[in-house]
Amino acid sequence: MQIEEKLSLLNYKTDKGYEHITVKPDICAVCPDHFCTFACPASCYTLIEGKLNFKYEDCVECGTCFFACSHGSVAWSNPKGGHGVKYKYG
Amino acid sequence: MSEFDAIVVGAGPAGSSSAIKLASSGLSVLLVERADPPGSKNVSGGILWGNELAKVIPDWEKNAPLERFVVSKGTGLLTDDSLISIDFRSKKLENNKTGYSVLRAKFDQFLANKAKASGATLVTGVTVDKVAFKDRKVIGVEQEGDVISSDVVILAEGANPRVAIDSGLREPIGDRDVAIGIKEVIRLPETTINERFNLRGSQGYAGEYVLGFLKDGVKAGGFLYTNKETISIGAVINAADLRANNSTYSYNIMEQFVTHPFIAPYLEGGKVEEYSAHLVCEGGIKSVPRLSGDGYMIAGDSASLGFSNGLVIQGMNYAITSGIAAAEAAIEAKTKGNFSAASLHSYDEKLALNYVLEDMKNFKGIEGVTWSSLMHKAVPRIAEKVFFDMFYETGEPKRHLSEILLESIAGSGMSKSQLILEAYRAARRM
Repeated sequence: MQIEEKLSLLNYKTDKGYEHITVKPDICAVCPDHFCTFACPASCYTLIEGKLNFKYEDCVECGTCFFACSHGSVAWSNPKGGHGVKYKYG
Repeated sequence: MSEFDAIVVGAGPAGSSSAIKLASSGLSVLLVERADPPGSKNVSGGILWGNELAKVIPDWEKNAPLERFVVSKGTGLLTDDSLISIDFRSKKLENNKTGYSVLRAKFDQFLANKAKASGATLVTGVTVDKVAFKDRKVIGVEQEGDVISSDVVILAEGANPRVAIDSGLREPIGDRDVAIGIKEVIRLPETTINERFNLRGSQGYAGEYVLGFLKDGVKAGGFLYTNKETISIGAVINAADLRANNSTYSYNIMEQFVTHPFIAPYLEGGKVEEYSAHLVCEGGIKSVPRLSGDGYMIAGDSASLGFSNGLVIQGMNYAITSGIAAAEAAIEAKTKGNFSAASLHSYDEKLALNYVLEDMKNFKGIEGVTWSSLMHKAVPRIAEKVFFDMFYETGEPKRHLSEILLESIAGSGMSKSQLILEAYRAARRM
């Protein structure tokens, strides 16, 4: 089963007005490892034509990317107002 | 004058247990949870070990939403082609129930509602940004610039403790503190689960595995727990190894585990209901931050209180015990009218007296064993070769076990002296 299919099973209350994680494109552009793309269990970080693409909508709020990035690009906050992932089982 | 005696951040096992204890002792408590409903952001493997919850919910075994009790505890080594496992199945585990599988969305909602019923004020869907300080003393929490004041704040926000980190109350989490946990919940008929795992009624199976088939230095463990009508299966991946490798996707390790030739048949025909990820505290005592200070205490995963020795992964019981200990310290502080660091240090002392810090100190360095090449590479390979060579009938004269063992060690990629040294270290630490 592909990761995209697994993620499609999840429910989110997406906060369209607030991205709880942001990355600094200048840092990502010269990143030597892009470890975030391998570490993130929700595949939020992908390389598209060599350029880092980040989408916060699929985030499951595990916190992996915050320590995975050793270059100071990832700023991490909790989603607000009950937004974000909503597990049925957990 | 503070608005509350205590504010508890996070309605998981640590936070809710703490809030129940505080509220039922007559303190005014605000329990703040960022998920709505409570429990809907919480994940664990999840076997709840022990009977700690009885201290705050005496009838929990009757009323909590529990899935199955563990009657069969498995430990297995997986290679590409083989599974070498030991199952401990015992009537003793039936008569002395010590582990229950739980699904946290339901279970944590039950705990949060208990806190509410005990008199705590429960607010959900509210994210605390930071603790509030005055003269370097914690005086409450901050949310969107507003301060809610309390005499003491108990941080119980789980394995990704943003408030503690952003408030400077603990070091940021790093590779050595946590492993990356990934889990799937797979639905199967109850009768199918019972047949596949040789169970009856509410009996359950809990298995931990070494994923010895992984390549290029990546190390991970696996778990498989039975619920009533679902299976919880997951991988726990060493972050430092994954970083050093830098070419393996965490989610592909999970996929390799669930499609392994001797794991997939357990799951066959099941419907994947949910995919989730959560950090797993694996750093041992080295990861534990300062536990208390002026006006605050840190409990559960937020304080890296957890235990894993490869045979068993425990977190929720440590969370509950530490949450209750924090509440007891707060109750004593309230009696004394003193919430200073010196007064709240009684929390640290309680943890040192009960098994929480004792375990973590006694098993100092255990993470070096659970994540060793010995356990993840050499032992699975040696075991596979020993068993295969013993059972495979060649039509030639049989060899002694010692001969097979020596040959298998030679083929394991580790020298005999290295193996003996590592095995000695492992035995000492376990």
